[in-house]
This record gives sequence, C-alpha cells and structure tokens, in this order.
Amino acid sequence: MVALARKMLLREWRRFLPAILTVCFAAMLLLVQAALVQGIFGSAAVYVTASAGNLWAGYPGTQSVSLGHPIGGDVATLMAMDPEVDAVDPLLFVDGYWRAKHGGDVEVYVSGVDLQGHGLVFHKLLTPALRQRLMEPGAVIVDRSDLDQLGAQVGSYGRIDGYPVHIVAAIAGLRALGGVNMITSWNTATGLDHTAGYTTYWVARIRDSGKAAQVAQRLNHHSDFGPYSVWTSSAFARRSQLYWLLDTGAGVAVLFLAAIVLLSGVVIASQALMAVVAGSAREFATLNALGVGVRALRWVVLELAAWVGGLGLLLGGGLSAGLLWLAHHNDVPVAMSPAVAVVCALSVMLLAVISGIAAMRALLRADPALLLR
Amino acid sequence: MSTTAPVFSLEADSISKSFESGAVSIQVLRRFSVSVRPAELTLVAGPSGCGKSTLLSILSGLQAADEGRVRALGQELSGENSRTLERFRLKHTGFVFQGFNLFSALTALEQVELPLGYMGLSRADIRQRARQALDEVGIGHRGSMRPAQLSGGEKQRVAIARALAKRPQLLFADEPTSALDAVSGQTVIDLLRRIAVDHGTTVLCVSHDPRLIQRADRVLAMEDGVINRDWRPGDTGSRPGMHSDDHTGALPFQGDRR
Repeated sequence: MVALARKMLLREWRRFLPAILTVCFAAMLLLVQAALVQGIFGSAAVYVTASAGNLWAGYPGTQSVSLGHPIGGDVATLMAMDPEVDAVDPLLFVDGYWRAKHGGDVEVYVSGVDLQGHGLVFHKLLTPALRQRLMEPGAVIVDRSDLDQLGAQVGSYGRIDGYPVHIVAAIAGLRALGGVNMITSWNTATGLDHTAGYTTYWVARIRDSGKAAQVAQRLNHHSDFGPYSVWTSSAFARRSQLYWLLDTGAGVAVLFLAAIVLLSGVVIASQALMAVVAGSAREFATLNALGVGVRALRWVVLELAAWVGGLGLLLGGGLSAGLLWLAHHNDVPVAMSPAVAVVCALSVMLLAVISGIAAMRALLRADPALLLR
Repeated sequence: MSTTAPVFSLEADSISKSFESGAVSIQVLRRFSVSVRPAELTLVAGPSGCGKSTLLSILSGLQAADEGRVRALGQELSGENSRTLERFRLKHTGFVFQGFNLFSALTALEQVELPLGYMGLSRADIRQRARQALDEVGIGHRGSMRPAQLSGGEKQRVAIARALAKRPQLLFADEPTSALDAVSGQTVIDLLRRIAVDHGTTVLCVSHDPRLIQRADRVLAMEDGVINRDWRPGDTGSRPGMHSDDHTGALPFQGDRR
C-alpha cells in the first residue's frame, strides 16, 4: 500500500507547514504554561521537596506548609518511638516583615532549622559549609533571585520585625510563592517567634521509605499528644501545591487558558489541513471514482493530521525544552513532571486528531461526479 | 444485486436526470435509453451541455439517475447505496478524466499502485500490475518520475495506466484528449482503442475531439439530452443498440428504436 499521507507530507511539507507550526505553538504554550505553573506552585512545597524527611507532622488541617500552626514537642517523642522512624528534626516556621534599607516592607517566611540535628530539613539546599555559616546568630540564607526584592546583597544587614539579621549566603532553589523564603538557625528563628517550647513541624525519616503511608497512618492514631496530623512528604507537598493552585484561582485560569490554546489550535490547524485536502480534492475524487471508499479517504486525512500532530509536537517539545532550559538558568521557576508532559502531549495529539476530523469536511469537495465536465 | 450474463455490458433504460439551478430546473436527460457492447470503443460526442458527461456519470455509477434503470455487467446499479457502488467501481471500473488528477507527491509507479492497494492484492501483485500497465502505455521507463517531471501526454498515460492496472471491464474516459497536443492526443486515442480490443474492455468515452470519431468503433452523437445519431465509422450503415424516448425536438435516429 502506498503511504499516501506520509509521502504527501514529505514532498509537500510547505503546504503542511502552517498546520505543523500551529500544533507546534499550541504544544509550546501548553508545555511552557504547565512548566511555569508547576515551577511557581511547586515553590509552595519547596520546604518539603528540598528536605529529606519521609513524614511531616503538623497542625491538623494545615492546607499548606507556609500556613502551619505550632504543635507540641511530644509529637517528636511519639514519632521517635516508632520502630520504623530513624531520625526526627524540627522546622520552626515564622512569618515576618523584612524592613528594607531604603524603605518598604517585604513579607518573609523564615524557616528555622536545627543545626545540631540530623540535617533532614532543607537537606538538598544546605551544604555543610552553609550550615556552618548559619551558626552565626542572626544569620539567614536567601534565594539569589530575591536579593533585589529585599534591596540587599550577601553580607547585608537588616531587620525582621525589629530583630536584626544578616544575609550570609544567597542560593538557588529557595524561591517562595508571594514572599521571600529565608533559612536560619533554630535559635535565630525562636528569637523571631514567641511561642516558646513549640515548633511548627516535626520532620521524620524512616528506614523503609516504601512504608511511609503505613507509618503515617499508624502515627495518626494517638490522641494523647495534643492536636497534630502526620502526612507523608509527597502528600503534604501535593496538598500545599493544590491549595495555592486552587486558592489563588490559578488552577481555573490555567485550565481556561489551556482550553483556549487547544480550541484556537483546532480552529487554525483544521483550516490549514482543510486547505491541503481541498487542494488535492480532484485527486481524492479520482481515487473515489476508482472505487476507493470515502471511509478510506477519511483515514488518509486522519493519518495526515496525526503526522502533523506528531511533527508539531516534536518541534514544539524541542523548542519548549530549550525555552525551559533558558528559564531555569535565569532563575525563572519552572518544573516539568513526566505525567504532566504526557498529558500535554496527549492534548496536542487530540488537537491534531480533532483538526483532522474537522478537515474531513474538505472531502465533500472530492465528489467524482464534479470531475466530469 | 441480481446478476445475469450480459449481452450489453452497459444498459440504461429510460433514465432521466435534471439539475436545479436556483428556481430553475434543467432537464438534462429525459427517458433516455442506451446499450453499450463490450470490447468496443464507444464514443459519445456532442456540444457542451448536451448531457454527455451526465450520461457518463450515471452509467459509471458516480451519480444516480432521478428515474429509470442502469445495468452494468448485468448488475443493477439503480437504487444501490454509495458503499455498494464504490465496491462495484473498485472491482470493475476505471476512469480517465480530462485533468490528469495525479498526486504531485507520488511517482508514476506509485500513482498506478495507489488504487490497487485498496483492492486486496499482494504487494508483489500490485508492483507487477503497475509496471505492466505503465509498460503497456509506453512509459515504463518513466516510472520514477513525478507529475512535475512529465509532459501532459505522459501524465495522461499515467492516468490511463492507473485505470488499466485495475484490469477493469468498464473504462470511462471524459474528454481524455482535450488537454493534449495533437501527437499526445493521438497516442491516447490509440491506447483507448487498443485497451478495448486487446482486453475486451467496454470503453465509453465522452469527447468532442473529431480525431476520436475516426478511431471509435461506435459513435453516439448527442444533442440536448438525446442521441440524434448512432453509427459505426468503420461501417457504411448504422447499428442498433440504443435509443432515446425523447420525442421533443430530437433529430431523427439513425439507429433502431425499441
């Protein structure tokens, strides 16, 4: 069987270029948008994803990491008593306002980590050298992209709610959603907070990470340790991201934008495909006159659409990868999970197939009786 | 479909066809009857708008008549659905149009192979039939050329090979020479005649090319939806086999009336 669709595409690629570019841009818009959303809202869970703990204990009903309330120190004992738990570290989460040198307040989220502990919290961000520098009272570490917002540089001094602090380092990967993240020592954080004897979270590492859900469930069944809940780190990270995605309305906006991208993609790609099919209407009509069924001709159009979709996706995927690489190296928060990439790819292929189905209307012009003069 | 042994390979019995043009209805064929024999090149000639192309599209199963019956190879085509007609055309018919209608992306060989792929033939059969058909029309050596590299006459020969490779019992040609120069036109005429004689194919050709008249076995001259003359250029007299029941303003038939 002659591969008509493939040969048409190869020999007459210029005629298909508008459709391919449409699919390419739709793929780019979807992928880049998804990466930005994941990057931006992923930062809502940076405390969890940059830490090494498997379990997080916090106040019951906590929607997001940055919205935690104090829980008792007994919870740490409870967690440590579980035979699966290997290490437990605290995280004291404090809200405050940075007073910039040249005026204006910036909201900051200060994470106090126990420098004498097991190093679970911000394990992926804090090198031994950085931990050493946090030993200094009032030392804080910020994301390098937040320095401008703070009006500060590494080495700058400032105040958080009147408490003197000193920026000792600026790193990548600490960007916050709607404010500035700062890492400091437990001691400095307690100076900013007045709920003495409490912490915001207890982070635990377990011996067999595959048992995280089971251990979390087991630890949740004790009512004598005050109000608390235990989540697996993945569940808590997802909970935090979803909260911001839905609470800010960004989730609906993203879906709305994705729908517009797909719809406009279908309209433009189908028109471009229709033009191609209509341009070969006499040839298709001749095939039909020779007995090739309309159904078989529709398959050819659908195959053309699938090729256009595949090529557009390949091109759009490549360009998106380049753009995201560029964004990442310029501290723009972007991230892409395989599952989301697959959903985007399937959406783009669906766009192409729907365009192909719409383009089948052009076969109506391929009436063989019209070839007879 | 009922099947009987055909004496005539194509038969139209009292067919009528009209077209709407705005509020006006134009009657193209009215109670028209004709019978066509196999192994002959039958030419339908006449001025533009006389209904010859409409007749061709109805006899070939591309279009349905408003009324009347059409039998092709002993099979009743009238009233059949489009799927059945497609299957019939795939199995039994070939077409050659004035425009060559070749896919610009395909080579001559692929143009011929393309419809064969839908006939359930093996790859080897398809290739062999396609090469044989191209050889038969004299352009076997041009099989790897695309339409842009072929002359008008060569393109029409590819179109004929595309129809011929299906080994059809019925071959319909609509103005096959009108877009060609004198030499190419003559070649195409000779090919159509040879296909009829050598393969026993019923070749029904619509044209106003006078060169074709000399080479046709039988000529049906049409005007205003009726046949006003039916003759065999090679014979001294006219032959039976067709008539129109249209009595309104038609010129007298030279053939018998049923």
